[in-house]
Amino acid sequence: MNGIQILLITGVIILFLYYTFRLRNALLDMLILALFTGVAVFFILFPEYTNKIAGKLGVGRGADLLFYICILFFLFVILKLFARIRRLEKTLTDLVRKQAKDEAIFMKEPDKI
Amino acid sequence: MQGISQDFIFIHCMSHHINPKDVFIIIPAYNENAVIRSVLEKLLPCKYTIVVVDDGSAQNLFPLINDMPVYSICHQVNLGQGAALQTGIEFALSKQALYIATFDADGQHHPGDIENLLEPLTDNRADVVFGSRFMEGSVHNMPVKRKLLLQTARYINYFFTGLLLTDAHNGLRAMNRKAALQIRIEENSMAHATEILAQVKKNKLHYTEIPVNIMYTGYSKAKGQTVWSGFRIFFDILLNKIFK
Repeated sequence: MNGIQILLITGVIILFLYYTFRLRNALLDMLILALFTGVAVFFILFPEYTNKIAGKLGVGRGADLLFYICILFFLFVILKLFARIRRLEKTLTDLVRKQAKDEAIFMKEPDKI
Repeated sequence: MQGISQDFIFIHCMSHHINPKDVFIIIPAYNENAVIRSVLEKLLPCKYTIVVVDDGSAQNLFPLINDMPVYSICHQVNLGQGAALQTGIEFALSKQALYIATFDADGQHHPGDIENLLEPLTDNRADVVFGSRFMEGSVHNMPVKRKLLLQTARYINYFFTGLLLTDAHNGLRAMNRKAALQIRIEENSMAHATEILAQVKKNKLHYTEIPVNIMYTGYSKAKGQTVWSGFRIFFDILLNKIFK
């Protein structure tokens, strides 16, 4: 095992533990997380397998394949986050609007001009 | 003497057979503290019901206008002009408004134009009336750069909504109660101008355009839209189309 493998595996395990503590009630999420962690550790220990898969898909190197998958994954994450921000914004708008309407005041009676 | 001059202003502002109190003017204001008073002072003689929506300005507007006969609504946080308009419209509807007009707080609009906007509504010729800077009869001193920007925006609006108006982002509009009940602005940002068009189309509302005068002051130019904000509006519209 060389330096980079130790570094990556440590990182993956720390992330795994972090999410384990946060998602302790969501069983399905935990299973998916465990699966991803296992696959990640496997490919870190045996990187030559990524090359084989990449070759089958017509990509030269395993690292390139990983890079492409990452781009897709991050685009997906950005879209999910954007949708969530929109929902939050809508909730915030509804709350602020309701309070604003409830607290609307008339500054001065027109008769007193 | 005072009575006569007020009567004169009253007639000047409202020659139709509607009670000006049923006309609600929504003024969304975000950090317009420097000019809001003078804008209101010009509007008050028309006797309309005025609703100022403070969209979370850094400095609260209330102390500046607390001696004026206007409704004040305050967003606790800044949400955007679209959100402020929708809040004002909902409030006006809850106060049994018959006609609702939107008016910019930076002093670029002319209060006398509101009457012209109301005319097609009271005559039942339209449900929504848009003010236009580019129709014959309107007076403006618009910088060339802004003119180009607005012309581009027209076609972008056309592309997204199918309505081609002569002006794209004019803050002066009026609608009747029926239209106000059907239009629901969900774009908090500046993209609401396009959204209103889309909803006019969707709800098959009758619309028309009326020339209005715009006064570009140094103040309103500094606060107004730039090419960059034009791009931002465009991307807002695009993203919101995707995420509907």
